[in-house]
Amino acid sequence: MNNIILLPIVFPFLSAIVLSAFEFNEKRRNIFAGFVILINLIFVIYIVSSFGESSFHFIKINEFLDIYFKVDKLSIFFSLLASVLWAFTSIYAMEYMKHEKKEKRFFIYFITTLGVTLGIAFAGNLITLYLFYELLTLATFPLVIHSGSKEALKSGKKYLIYSFAGATVALLGMLILFSLTNDLTFVPGGIVKENILENKNLYFIIYVAMFIGFGVKAALVPFHSWLPEAMVAPTPVSSLLHAVAVVKSGIFAITRVTYYIFGPNAVRMTGANKYLIILVIISILMGSFLALHQENLKKRLAYSTISQLGYILLGILLLNKNAFTGAMMHLLNHAVIKITLFFCVGAIMYTTGKTKISEINGIGKTMPITMWCFTVSAISLIGIPPTNGFISKWFLAEGALLEGKVAFPAILLVSALLTALYLFPISIAAFFTKENNDVVVKKEAPIKMLIPIICITIITILLGLFPNYVLDFIRSMASEVMY
Amino acid sequence: MNPKIVLLNIIVIPLIGSIISFFIGKKNEKLRDLFNVIMTGANLLLITSLYISVMNEKVEVFVPNIMGMGLYLKLDMFRYIFVWLTALIWFLITIYSTQYLLSYKNRNRYYLFFMITYWSTLGIFISNNIINLFTFFEIMSLSSYPLIIHDEDKYSHDAGKTYLIMAVSGGLVLLMGLFLLYDYTQTLDIDKIKYVIQDIGNIKYVIAGLMIFGFGVKAGTFPLHIWLPKAHPAAPAPASAILSGILLKTGIFGILITVEIMGLNDIYISIVLLALGFITMFMGGFLAMFQRNIKRILAYSSMSQMGYIIVGIGLMEVLHEHNAIALYGILYHIINHMLFKVLLFMSAGVIYMKLHELSINGIGGFGRNKKVLKVCFLIGSCAIMGVPGFNGFISKNLLHHALSEALHLYGGVWLNIGELIFVISSAFTTAYLLKLFVAVFVEKSDHDIANIKMKVTGRALVPMSILAAMIIFIGIYPEFIMNIIDKAVESFDIHDTIDMNFYSFENIKSSFVSILLGTLIYVFFIREVLKKGYGENWWYENTALNWFSLEKDLYIPFFAFIFKISSFVLKLCDVGLLNLIILINNGMSSLIKMPLKYKIESKAMITRKLNSISHMDESTGEYITDITRETKKARYKMNSITYSIYIFGVVLVICLAVLLYS
Repeated sequence: MNNIILLPIVFPFLSAIVLSAFEFNEKRRNIFAGFVILINLIFVIYIVSSFGESSFHFIKINEFLDIYFKVDKLSIFFSLLASVLWAFTSIYAMEYMKHEKKEKRFFIYFITTLGVTLGIAFAGNLITLYLFYELLTLATFPLVIHSGSKEALKSGKKYLIYSFAGATVALLGMLILFSLTNDLTFVPGGIVKENILENKNLYFIIYVAMFIGFGVKAALVPFHSWLPEAMVAPTPVSSLLHAVAVVKSGIFAITRVTYYIFGPNAVRMTGANKYLIILVIISILMGSFLALHQENLKKRLAYSTISQLGYILLGILLLNKNAFTGAMMHLLNHAVIKITLFFCVGAIMYTTGKTKISEINGIGKTMPITMWCFTVSAISLIGIPPTNGFISKWFLAEGALLEGKVAFPAILLVSALLTALYLFPISIAAFFTKENNDVVVKKEAPIKMLIPIICITIITILLGLFPNYVLDFIRSMASEVMY
Repeated sequence: MNPKIVLLNIIVIPLIGSIISFFIGKKNEKLRDLFNVIMTGANLLLITSLYISVMNEKVEVFVPNIMGMGLYLKLDMFRYIFVWLTALIWFLITIYSTQYLLSYKNRNRYYLFFMITYWSTLGIFISNNIINLFTFFEIMSLSSYPLIIHDEDKYSHDAGKTYLIMAVSGGLVLLMGLFLLYDYTQTLDIDKIKYVIQDIGNIKYVIAGLMIFGFGVKAGTFPLHIWLPKAHPAAPAPASAILSGILLKTGIFGILITVEIMGLNDIYISIVLLALGFITMFMGGFLAMFQRNIKRILAYSSMSQMGYIIVGIGLMEVLHEHNAIALYGILYHIINHMLFKVLLFMSAGVIYMKLHELSINGIGGFGRNKKVLKVCFLIGSCAIMGVPGFNGFISKNLLHHALSEALHLYGGVWLNIGELIFVISSAFTTAYLLKLFVAVFVEKSDHDIANIKMKVTGRALVPMSILAAMIIFIGIYPEFIMNIIDKAVESFDIHDTIDMNFYSFENIKSSFVSILLGTLIYVFFIREVLKKGYGENWWYENTALNWFSLEKDLYIPFFAFIFKISSFVLKLCDVGLLNLIILINNGMSSLIKMPLKYKIESKAMITRKLNSISHMDESTGEYITDITRETKKARYKMNSITYSIYIFGVVLVICLAVLLYS
């Protein structure tokens, strides 16, 4: 009965086909889409809770072309994260997409993308991961160019080029790797164990190729410029792109490669991490610095994503338990924080049509709940205790210090200062700046948009105050991949 | 009641209370004010009820799971002093606020953050886990921001910006220290750190430096004081009172914890602290003389008083086994400064309530007939100056004795200079307070101060009277406080108590010397140089306005420079790859655009080959190829997918080359 793993992956596809085949009216379509995502969430929870760790070969042509699914701790972590956030986003999107039109097309691809993302989560070997990774680019492309404007098409093109080019480089690494190991299955602790010294240079190239290849989706500098441009997409899409689906798939793939294919020791032996860390550091600083220069709220958040993803990549590349815990915590924390920030910005856009920082003076008085959630998330992103951002930063810094690198925590803190500098002015403008007109009319965002915002903010707060439950899970994952 | 539960309640009540009061305030403001007064009063009573149990034994509570590492609270006598005074002052200021804020907007917001600040301040003083302490510290930093910018005008936003940047960067520097501390000691309990701290080697200095920097921002230590004189005048008076009275002490508390309780101390660190303390003391006093805004004078005065305390902390290590006197001086001065500075800020608030003006150039002679206010202000001023009979006299003497002892032990030029600075700073204190007092309460002036906007009632005056009474009480009966401090010093490695006759001839003489010196400075410098005008038409000038300012002339240009450079470099990273590709593309296309001309005679071979794609220009006898046109077309036809394939090819070629090489 292991083939039930396929269910959450295939079910969204089938539903998407149903959705495209029949003409629903708005209400029914919303209910249908919501149901599909909810049922899928239940599937995922069911699989995770009742199966534990299990695996399933779907098609096996030969050793290389082997579509293989597997449930392990990392996939449980990622699939649950994606499914839960998808559910919230779908509620949000029902309201938001009203002003973007073409909702049917949106929901078809929206649901499809969920299936693809879960495919990435449950992939049991690199080739399956790669296939779904490519599919993800295709499935999200219509979402990015949703508005159909010239600008959207241009960024969509850019997104395609970057993603495919990245995947190609990763594929190259994969092919060479297969020729060496004859196996691409994910095993905690890695499959590359012997012969690392004989073919050191080759392994070095493989690792760098795969890291950079998958790093394109994780917005690694200098392959990041698709990300700020993809901001033309509707807010639910950009929030999902940023928080879970796309960028985190890149991170997820890199985690798989580093800890489940190579293994931390092998990566350390190749020495590739030392060079790649330079790129990551530049990502962290560049993202934060350039976010300061952005006037458009969404763009500001986009650059902030680049820097925050750098935190996660840093944690992955440091190759020790603390850093890994920090990276995985930050993967989760950044997901919930960034999705809230995007939702809030989207709510402002939807209710008032304002997109720039200079326009939002005093908006905290008209939309208090939205801006409160924004502020809480902003504080979390900066990493001021007792929020969740602090927890991940703490582990990342301890991980870096364990490697004897004092510079990394310092860089994290400089970036945190910059984060404060680019996020606080938004809250300050919203709450503490006088409006020109004295009449304050409360015009909060619609309830369907507020519910996800509030729920995820509460999750953020709870993750900060009581992180032990998640932390223990991640720690057990860390001790699985590192002994 | 079980003291542990009481201790936990102390921290829970203000948190829940602040939220409840916010929602009450949305419906009924009067009820909210009453609720807040009752809540802070109840908390004060709870804390007072703990006195007996704390006197016997320290109280500790551990709540697991919060933030992963749990919440570890501890209350001993040393912390109790801070906690009880915080509760008392908050209670008084809450009563005072109910009147002061009547003319303000956004009161509900103010009370929410006011109470959260209260909660977090209590948290700082009772947490025994350094991360808990840091957490409360950061919450306090952020929640006091809305208090500072409450007016929402340009000045307060400017001050708020400075405050926020300083507070956040201070917090991050502190965090860096904590990262390192945990990395080297593997423990977060403040009590346990001192047992492992001696084994970590020279990294100790780095950690101590970072932590002192972080706490020093809050304590207003030179050169991190720049937010202080800006933020204090910007906030409403009750908020400036707590900023000055309590929040500065959290920084001092942090430094005390760092160097004394955690044992991150050493002669070099002490020397740095001494130097910083003396500079802070001197600068604060010196600059206060030039100011004209009452609150700014008081703000610089706070800075100067923090200097005294930091000098005391520095002296503790220098004095070795004789350091009890320095510790007594520090604690006594902390208590005193909480009382008298809050009293003075409240008095300034009363003036502002009536006149909505704080510059002494605009309110000269206002207080000539205000008896209660005059007496309160006089008591506060005398206390800071250290007039015998007031509490400041006691603590300044203790600190002075500590300094004399160090001088006696070591001698040397630097300590002599320190002694001199100590006396001069005390003289400055007298000078600027005389300036303030005489200008506001004694001298006649022609300033237009008739418009009384509000009647000041007992709600404002009673808290002030209570503080004034306490100041005199502990000035006359220092033994009362000394007994409490006897117990408090047990948290440190000090067990000898000191027995001292404060009202000796020697002490009174040294106090009067500095007061006399201050009066001379007032008469010959402030009145002669800074005061302009004749008779009743007078005003003060601030000649220090155009002097070198740390913020405007050093920090801002420096960071702006760094910011510009980094922005430039990082922008290059941002668009570098794209521009490179575009450059290559353009280069390629311009290469292609170059018309290929071949002479028939000399290039017969090539022309034959090109024949298929070229046509002959008969008139000139040259072949002009069509490559340009064809490739151009092809290039535009290239859509994204083919482009990716193109990249795929390029990558393959590169990788092949690499593979061959390796």
